[in-house]
Amino acid sequence: MVGRSLRQIVWARLRRDKVAMLCLFIVTFMYAVAIFGPFIGGFFGLDPYKLDTATISDLGGRPVLPNGGISPQHPLGVEWGTGRDIFAQLIFGLRISLVIATSATFITVVLGTVIGIVAGYTGGLTDTLMGRLMDLILAFPFLLIILALSGVLTQRLTNLGVPEGNPSRILYLILVFSVFGWPYLARIVRGQVLSLREREFVEAAVAMGARRRRILFSEILPNLWAPILVYATLTLPAYIGLEAAVSFLGVGVLPPETTFGAMLANSVNYMNVVPTYLFIPGTVLVVLVVSFNLFGDAVRDALDPKAIH
Amino acid sequence: MAKTQTWLYRAFALSVTATLITACGGATTTPTPAGSGPASTGPAATVDTSAAKKGGTIYVLTQAKVWNQVDPQRIYTGEDLAFFGGTIMRGLTAYKFSPDAAEGTSLVPDMATDLGKATDGGKTWAFTLRDGVTWQDGTDVTCADIKYGVSRTFADNVINQGPTYASVYLDIPTVQGFAKKKDGSVKPTSALAFYGPLKYNKNLKIFSDEALTKPIPNDPSTYDKAVTCDGKTITFHLNKPIADFNYTVTLGFGAVREKDDTGETYGTVAPFTISNGPYKVESYTTGNGGKMVLVRNENWKPESDPYRKAYPDKWEVDFGVDPKVLDQRIMASAGNDATAIQYGQIQPENLGVIFTDPDNTTAKYKGRAISGFDPYSRYYWINVNKVPNVKIRQAMAVALDRAAIRLNIGGAFAGAFADGLVKPNIGGDYKATGLWTDFFGKPVPDGGDPELAKKLINESGVPAPKLVFNFADTPVNQKTAAIVIASLGKAGITVTPAPLEPGKYYSIVFDPAASGDFGTGGWGADWPNASTVLPPLLTQAGGWDLSQLDDPAVNAAIEAGLTELDRTKQMAKWQEINKSAAENMYTIPTFFGLSQTIGGTKVGPLYRWAAYGSWPYGEMYVTK
Amino acid sequence: MAAYLVRRVLLMISLLLILSVAVFLLFNMLPGDPARLTCGKSCTEAVIEQNRQRLGYDDPPLTQYVKFMSGIFTGRVFSPESPEPIVCAAPCLGYSFNRHEQVLSLIVRAAPVTFWLAIGAFIIWIAVGVSLGIFAALRRGRWPDRLVLGVSLIGYSLPSFFFGLLLMFFVVIQWQWLPYPSYVSPFEDPVGFLQTMILPWIVLAILYAAFYMRLTRNQVLEVFNDDFVRTARAKGLPERTVVVKHALRAGLTPIVTAAGLDLAGLLGGAIISENIFNLPGLGALSVESITNSDLPLITGITLLTASLIIVANFIVDLLYAVVDPRVRLV
Repeated sequence: MVGRSLRQIVWARLRRDKVAMLCLFIVTFMYAVAIFGPFIGGFFGLDPYKLDTATISDLGGRPVLPNGGISPQHPLGVEWGTGRDIFAQLIFGLRISLVIATSATFITVVLGTVIGIVAGYTGGLTDTLMGRLMDLILAFPFLLIILALSGVLTQRLTNLGVPEGNPSRILYLILVFSVFGWPYLARIVRGQVLSLREREFVEAAVAMGARRRRILFSEILPNLWAPILVYATLTLPAYIGLEAAVSFLGVGVLPPETTFGAMLANSVNYMNVVPTYLFIPGTVLVVLVVSFNLFGDAVRDALDPKAIH
Repeated sequence: MAKTQTWLYRAFALSVTATLITACGGATTTPTPAGSGPASTGPAATVDTSAAKKGGTIYVLTQAKVWNQVDPQRIYTGEDLAFFGGTIMRGLTAYKFSPDAAEGTSLVPDMATDLGKATDGGKTWAFTLRDGVTWQDGTDVTCADIKYGVSRTFADNVINQGPTYASVYLDIPTVQGFAKKKDGSVKPTSALAFYGPLKYNKNLKIFSDEALTKPIPNDPSTYDKAVTCDGKTITFHLNKPIADFNYTVTLGFGAVREKDDTGETYGTVAPFTISNGPYKVESYTTGNGGKMVLVRNENWKPESDPYRKAYPDKWEVDFGVDPKVLDQRIMASAGNDATAIQYGQIQPENLGVIFTDPDNTTAKYKGRAISGFDPYSRYYWINVNKVPNVKIRQAMAVALDRAAIRLNIGGAFAGAFADGLVKPNIGGDYKATGLWTDFFGKPVPDGGDPELAKKLINESGVPAPKLVFNFADTPVNQKTAAIVIASLGKAGITVTPAPLEPGKYYSIVFDPAASGDFGTGGWGADWPNASTVLPPLLTQAGGWDLSQLDDPAVNAAIEAGLTELDRTKQMAKWQEINKSAAENMYTIPTFFGLSQTIGGTKVGPLYRWAAYGSWPYGEMYVTK
Repeated sequence: MAAYLVRRVLLMISLLLILSVAVFLLFNMLPGDPARLTCGKSCTEAVIEQNRQRLGYDDPPLTQYVKFMSGIFTGRVFSPESPEPIVCAAPCLGYSFNRHEQVLSLIVRAAPVTFWLAIGAFIIWIAVGVSLGIFAALRRGRWPDRLVLGVSLIGYSLPSFFFGLLLMFFVVIQWQWLPYPSYVSPFEDPVGFLQTMILPWIVLAILYAAFYMRLTRNQVLEVFNDDFVRTARAKGLPERTVVVKHALRAGLTPIVTAAGLDLAGLLGGAIISENIFNLPGLGALSVESITNSDLPLITGITLLTASLIIVANFIVDLLYAVVDPRVRLV
């Protein structure tokens, strides 16, 4: 009998889960749209930056047509005051939302894993210091800090040579999400490492005189990828939601660029007159986040079907 | 002032806010700005007070969390001057209540018996107090109280953010000395000899010697010479002739009793003893749910005050009302909201519901929604040191898509296209500059003319610049920035947005090291004379020179305008300076702002009082 | 035990100190000239300079920090030149020149709103989360379990501010079941209070409720597998007694401690709810202070809420040590 690797087993289990596959499809589709959408859309004349002042009224800037100006040219309507196409904004906004969430997740996972492994394996003073650092970071009301520091830190990034404006703002969000996000994963990883380091294969490696780095990253790390993967699939949608929330509170990308959060934040002002501004980006956001979470759940189940999750 | 309509918005632009007054001197008809656009709409010019009744409560609903200031020497916001002036703070003179723009900016005596007597060619002004003007405890308001109040302006270590005309115009000698600068160097410097009341302990840190050992002390005797009391007559001695000083005394010249003066907290904390008007403060709390309640002042004698009508029994200012809710409540006008008025502006999404166009309301809101000039001219300042080439500045102006920007901030409701810094409703000081029609040899379309801009850049002899654009970071401004970037980009000018935290906007753009190359700005006149517009915006001494302009020729022209006593000649001088400033494009004039407000169904009279661009608080009533 | 206690207290104090330095440094290096903000239209360099000295912005950061910290213990005097200076008695967190009020009194005024918000949400999330979690655990693998898991997934997937806006749109704007939220004290107008708070409670509770459903379910299931429960069952005790007396008591202890920490850390969630529903609590106050660049207020709120979390951490640790003898007190 040919043994199957864990990866193969997990994949086989996932494939049987119809919901998970649907979610995977949606998530992949969204990424595809984010990556290729602007090119393909641009080919068909999709332009999120183009003002279409003919579609809005001179009296207050409201879209002339009902439902936020939905028309054949603008299938999802136009923006209040400028007439920019909502559909185009949605596609371009998806890209930035995903860039922020994916990069921040990546950095969070790397930071959390490395620090968690080191703290857990080394123990002693390093572990204590890392633990206190995590306590300190987790003590900050981080939503408040994100808002308060956005001005100064975005400026710092610009001074460091990051292009002014959106590149700095996006990088700020990625960094600040990561800085406040890693301790959660680090705690999980540390706990896992604490139990792993007592296991035979690690002790065997130590006895064989393996270097510490080898032990950490060749012996221990491969046993951690399951919790890390699960954590990542759950963190990514959380960051998409978080970006939307901070954007709503006034920190985010600047027009003409946009994100889900920026679109929703804008919708607040016109909610009782043009509710489609709220529903269109909101629906896409929820579909995306739910798909991610369902898929993350399915991965977790597939990794450990006996678990009580 | 940045136009901000976000729900996070709090009236942050306090320091910019000044009052704008229409038409002075000779009665002019309501002027119409160049191009198109209404001047003022609302009910007919005569006020029908037959529906007025004594009694009731008027509610003032605001999204602000707190009064900017409650101190006669520090209040500098039009709406606040109007509110406190109409209720608890009397002045020597005041603006007449009238929906007519010209009449509404004409003066009437208030505490004084007349509009003041000018002698010595306008260098000395005397006002005599009426009988029966009292504080809320019944004691007389004396000449000394006014003198003391005015002297607080000089204690700008504490009494800041208010109008400073007293220290600019009163004849106080200047002392020369030395002071340590921020960088540690010792430089000769000069200051006024009077530092305000002694109890303010202002320490200017100016020394008579270069070793900085002999501090120059406060010299109150200089003030005693500049402002003198003779019985009920107060006399102001000025350092130069000021033809319209009786307008000046409406700003920061209120009375304060020395024994009541608590300094920093004056007016904001109990016990409230500061009233000399028909109402007094009963309570004041800030934040969401905060209230200021004014009740009748029994010691106010109507015969001493023919100016204020004092109809309602009570005023209640409700702070921190969600702007969406605020509009909805007054639109519905149910219960107490029937006698409520809006402090602030109607949200953009409701404009189309309330108005059919900027001149007319829909039938449902007829007579209670107002659309009219607000106090401000809006412009983009250009730092002339960073953009020294006039052709480049002109190219920026010509390329700018003003039509799209206007649409973004509310279209026809936001205002008319501006052709200079001076707003037409100031009266004779305004004359169309022809900036967009004649100056470039052909009309510049509102949507911008990138080709003409490119031509101007070619003529400038320098390459198309890369510029940094400052604006207060709000959603509406962000979209405006996108339009600025796109439209200047068409002419080859690269613009990078540099949004600033709204609360810090002016503190940053005032620092040339921290500010960008150009940015948003707004200004309103203090009284109907362009002397309160052009000098502040175009000279370093004026205090609001965001363009960092310091041009000897401009300075000389401004000085000539300020010292011109013949009002007609002065008007011509201001018109000339306004035109030349537009052509030199120290600032890009954008809009003469309009704003919209609404009141309940059972409160009147509802009109835009031109004096402060506000409600006429002092004659408002609850209807029978 | 005493040694452990002393060590934990010292650790907490050192964390608080580090925290105060971190907060102070973060916020006092913001750009823009705070002194310029105090000075109006006809501002001159001299006035700005004066105000810089008056407000202490010309001091080196360390001096500013020391003044700030000593203010907490001994009080401070602001604007000493004013005829009646502003005396800020200890514990003084600063004075907001923007709001003409002491930072502490602003916080004290806003705190009850956030307190009520947090308490209400807490009750909802514990009641819903724990009961559904137990329910699901008892019916593991059957449809009620799946349903609860599904609901919980949607609950924590919904970005809470979008959910808040949805509620606002439908319940308040579209269907008009509730008036526009406007905070009143529960002692003045209980009905108005409930009408205002119900939506914010739901918005704040939903994320935690979803999380606690899963947490509770997993805890209970784990305990079921523990020896002592098996023993209890083997002894032939009624299932009801097994579940209530043994499994739940053991299983819920970690949930209670987690809940304590989450309650202390609610401010983050409160910021969003309070802003959507216009509640004058700490979250709204902090956003306002940021928009107005009200430095003393931002510093005060951050310091206070962060300290709260550290102190809560400490208490929970202590409780844990008392409740669970397995924790070694060394």
